[in-house]
Amino acid sequence: MAPSQNPAQSKNDNVAEPKPDQQPTVEQKSAALEEDDEFEDFPVEDWEPEETEAANGSGAPQHLWEESWDDDDTSDDFSAQLKEELKKVEAAKKR
Amino acid sequence: MEFDTHFFNEFADIISQQDGYALGRTLSPDISNESLRRIFRSQNAHNVKNALKRGLQGNAALVGGLEHQEVQGWVDIYASYWNATGVLLTAREATGGTGKTSELVWTKVYEAWTELLNVLIRGYQNSGFEAWTIPCLYTVCKHLRVFAMQADEERNHSSAFDDTAAALQDDFDPETNKRQKLEDCARALSRVFMLCQTDRASLEESRKWGSYYIANLLLKTYFKLNSASLSKNILNSLRVGTRDMPKFSAFPKSQQVTFKYHEGVLAFLEENYVLAEECLTEAWNSCYVNAKKNKELILTYLIPCHLITSHTLPTKKLLEPFPRLQKLFLPLCRCIKRGELHKFDLALQEGEDEFVKRRIYLTLERGRDIALRNLLRKVFVARGFEEAKEGEKPARRTRVPVAEFAAAISLGSQEKIDNDEVECLLANMIYKNHMKGYISRQHGIVVLSKSGAFPGTGV
Repeated sequence: MAPSQNPAQSKNDNVAEPKPDQQPTVEQKSAALEEDDEFEDFPVEDWEPEETEAANGSGAPQHLWEESWDDDDTSDDFSAQLKEELKKVEAAKKR
Repeated sequence: MEFDTHFFNEFADIISQQDGYALGRTLSPDISNESLRRIFRSQNAHNVKNALKRGLQGNAALVGGLEHQEVQGWVDIYASYWNATGVLLTAREATGGTGKTSELVWTKVYEAWTELLNVLIRGYQNSGFEAWTIPCLYTVCKHLRVFAMQADEERNHSSAFDDTAAALQDDFDPETNKRQKLEDCARALSRVFMLCQTDRASLEESRKWGSYYIANLLLKTYFKLNSASLSKNILNSLRVGTRDMPKFSAFPKSQQVTFKYHEGVLAFLEENYVLAEECLTEAWNSCYVNAKKNKELILTYLIPCHLITSHTLPTKKLLEPFPRLQKLFLPLCRCIKRGELHKFDLALQEGEDEFVKRRIYLTLERGRDIALRNLLRKVFVARGFEEAKEGEKPARRTRVPVAEFAAAISLGSQEKIDNDEVECLLANMIYKNHMKGYISRQHGIVVLSKSGAFPGTGV
């Protein structure tokens, strides 16, 4: 009896061993599912024009988008550095 | 709900009022275990069809309301639904605690639910179901997809069923195998889509009213399966059929917005940014104001679109409610605005995984041009004005040494770059109409246009 039990036991060990490894993959996957990027079902089937984003949310389109440059923002380090650098180039040329 | 007199009366009411959504709800699996149990225990496999038949045919209110074959159709459907409730109950009870079972219980649920869908389809093909009942298709199809994903998920996580069976086949492809049931579901949904699309009844009584709901389910499924080409087929089929379809604006807003979102993302992936922007803007404007997650998804694509088509960035106000989008886009936006090329590259690298996952990397990469444009513009502005002649407006100094542009470009990275390379970048800017002027190589200067050196930016 005893010898025949041994293989069964070692088999069990084999099955049990990979389990700790599997655990994290399960967690990872369910985490990935949570931040799933599927468009969701709306809580209602239809709605009135007053309940749309256009009528409420962020308001007029000009408040949604702005220009991609900013002339007022000259105080940042990069602008200052740039001015310095340009001066250097100009000075080098005059020499 | 159980299959008793109360249910038969309710069914008769729904039929006489032609309330499609209420009818759809009678086929929902989205009910408590308690309810499932009550339905399932109210009948047994041997008797269920007879009981349903007696109940439905014997109901006085139904007599005259439905044709004989219609009644038979509903008997088959509720019998199939009854069967599915039993399988679903078993699955839920088995996976209730640990989520692990020795059997693939969700595969069985998927199969039982597929059978229900088949019986339902037959109701339309053979039993003369009217078009107002199509919310039944919505309910059954919607959950078929959910069960398909659950079945795939379960199989992929179950070690016992890993690949033993499938690996024996020669053409075994682990990726396909992972989404086996979802692919099967896509085929079933496309049959239902055709069932709606090909209905020749007059518009008021046409199953075409179901086209967009089913198309949306299909698009979601194809997106998950990563199949843009199959998605295109759906769009084409709807486009070709537009003339015989009800007006798009007559469909419920949930269907319009969902459809426009998918159409927009598809155009986006094909780099048709003008069409993408149009669709996504429409989706954004009509979106239900409280549907935050969906609004976030729309903006994920609309923002890169805007960057390409109109070179504009989202305002703080627009991003305010969406911390995730702020994290995603703000670093890049800041670099673009300031013309910080090197930091732009770093920010792009930093977010690469996330950008690639959302399939916006390539589009955002093109934002580098705008960052460069802003940098060159800064050089131009910093050079100031020529000495103004009497009575004239001061003019900007339009002759800019290439060396100055070069210095600006390598400022961030502190890497010296070749003059040739700088000239190449400048030529590109001119070619793309971000900058107007020409390079005078022998003098090593760029002569910029006196009127609008950087089109659209006020200088």
